[in-house]
Amino acid sequence: MKGIKKLKFGFPAGAIKDQTVELFKAAGYDIQFDEKFQKVEIGDPEIDFLVTRPIEIAPFVEKGFLDVGISTIAAVLETKAKVIEICDLEYEKSALGKIKLVVAVPKKSNINSIKDLKGKKIVTRVPEITKEFLRKNKVSAEVIFSDIVIIESKVPLIADAVVEFAKSENVLRVYNLKAIKTLMENSTILVTNKKAWRDKWKREKIENLTLLLKGARLAQEMAGLMLHASNEMMGAVLKVLPALKKPTVTQLRGENWFDVLTVANKKETREIIPKLKKIGCTDIVEFPLNKVVI
Amino acid sequence: MAENKLKLAIPKGSLQEYTLKIFKSAGFDVDIPARGYFLKIDDPEIECFLLRPQEIPRYVEEGKLDLGISGDDWILETKAKVIEVCDLRYAKQKIKKVKWVLAVSKDSKIKSIKDLQGKIISTEAVNLVKDYLRKNKVKAKVEFSWGTTEVKPPRFSDAIADITETGASLRAHNLKILDTILVSSTKLITNTTAWQDKWKKEKIKNLALLLQGAVRGEEMVNLLMHVPGEKLKRILKFLPKLKSPTIKKLTGENWYDITTSCKGKETRELIPKLKRMGCEGIVEFPVNKLVP
Repeated sequence: MKGIKKLKFGFPAGAIKDQTVELFKAAGYDIQFDEKFQKVEIGDPEIDFLVTRPIEIAPFVEKGFLDVGISTIAAVLETKAKVIEICDLEYEKSALGKIKLVVAVPKKSNINSIKDLKGKKIVTRVPEITKEFLRKNKVSAEVIFSDIVIIESKVPLIADAVVEFAKSENVLRVYNLKAIKTLMENSTILVTNKKAWRDKWKREKIENLTLLLKGARLAQEMAGLMLHASNEMMGAVLKVLPALKKPTVTQLRGENWFDVLTVANKKETREIIPKLKKIGCTDIVEFPLNKVVI
Repeated sequence: MAENKLKLAIPKGSLQEYTLKIFKSAGFDVDIPARGYFLKIDDPEIECFLLRPQEIPRYVEEGKLDLGISGDDWILETKAKVIEVCDLRYAKQKIKKVKWVLAVSKDSKIKSIKDLQGKIISTEAVNLVKDYLRKNKVKAKVEFSWGTTEVKPPRFSDAIADITETGASLRAHNLKILDTILVSSTKLITNTTAWQDKWKKEKIKNLALLLQGAVRGEEMVNLLMHVPGEKLKRILKFLPKLKSPTIKKLTGENWYDITTSCKGKETRELIPKLKRMGCEGIVEFPVNKLVP
């Protein structure tokens, strides 16, 4: 008899580990992460986890060592791994949107454009992306690989420029660097390979997991909103509420007032709530959500 | 035309963490880089600074900032002429006011305010203490303290005036409270120039609405329950009146669905009572913001 079917899942170590653990928790899994042995347990005997860096997950998925994994757009490009992107999990490292991969130079450098990089030394964690970028811009420069985050004084010491991930100009400023060009925006993605995607059992397992992870991820961005509005206010209220989802409107018992229930992006609610208050709505309550599946 | 920007200061120190939490619930993510105090807020209309709360009232008064968060204590200490937009009510760890107290060593001979005559009082809020002494017609020497004020009596000073949230630090340093000088709360403050600017005033008022909603959300939870028709009146009377409850009739039955909000702490008493009164399917869930 055949043993139990298993899905091999690549779990990211490093910078996005904590967010991934949180996401599995939010998706409803009782996840245990063993720091010492770098092992993950979620209480599903059908999934085996391998904890490793996203840069390894992409090629491991391509080669079939793993069926599915959480990696990044940059890791896929850097390793040139042929994988299928199932969905963008859109982790944000901070409030400031996606992390950018930039070419940066010391503040006092006279390198001001990509052309100025000609014949210079560029140090980076992502040499393949960097070389590809230089090729596209028809600039020849020396690319030096360094496996650790490149900061500060190290740059002028060993190179003229750096290609590194940065969440904001602020970070670069602190490190005495300035960005001269953005290569790409990075994001966390869920990837699989053709073979797993064709396997009916694996595909269904992956799709269910994706639905929950994506639902939990979306819920982190969204909030529920409920409020009371009179009949006269309803026209204005419906104009203010996000058009994407139809709000649930219920008449309050024996009154000319309605209860309105909807979901909205957290960034939208900070614009919407003052407007609703101005219209005259009362009892406005915003509450967190666990999962949102649209 | 210049781009409209609101210059906002966030207090560094004990209020910092809770402030960021409240901003997050209000819908604003503030990022503090590992080094440096250039804050980044995800609203292009706001420029954000991290400053000591002692300095914020003065910078707001002088118009270097449009809006700031500081305590009553530092507003009074600096005697800054600022406009209080709203009371944000939170302290370091929870929604609570903090106290400035006069304290002396447990075995000190100083038993009353009058005994402070001619003594040395060490404090970070010199003006607050001087005003207090004047009111109480006591003359004493008030010395500015750079910090670690609690360790000063009895060797370095006879008494201190310091902030206390729980009293734990005072007890740990073998101090007893003589009197309360001031009960201080966290305030959102602006100046007349910003308050007269139409765009800034609107922006500030909206921000205040969201921040106050978030502070209220900290204390509140939502309650959902099903109530049999014949008991509806009694139960409605019993529910806390913080918000008018949402009442809906369930399809084809003499049952109602009630949604309301109440203080989180009340639920441990409220839920068993509601259950006993005949409510079913009681669900409690959290609140981000509440704007009544």
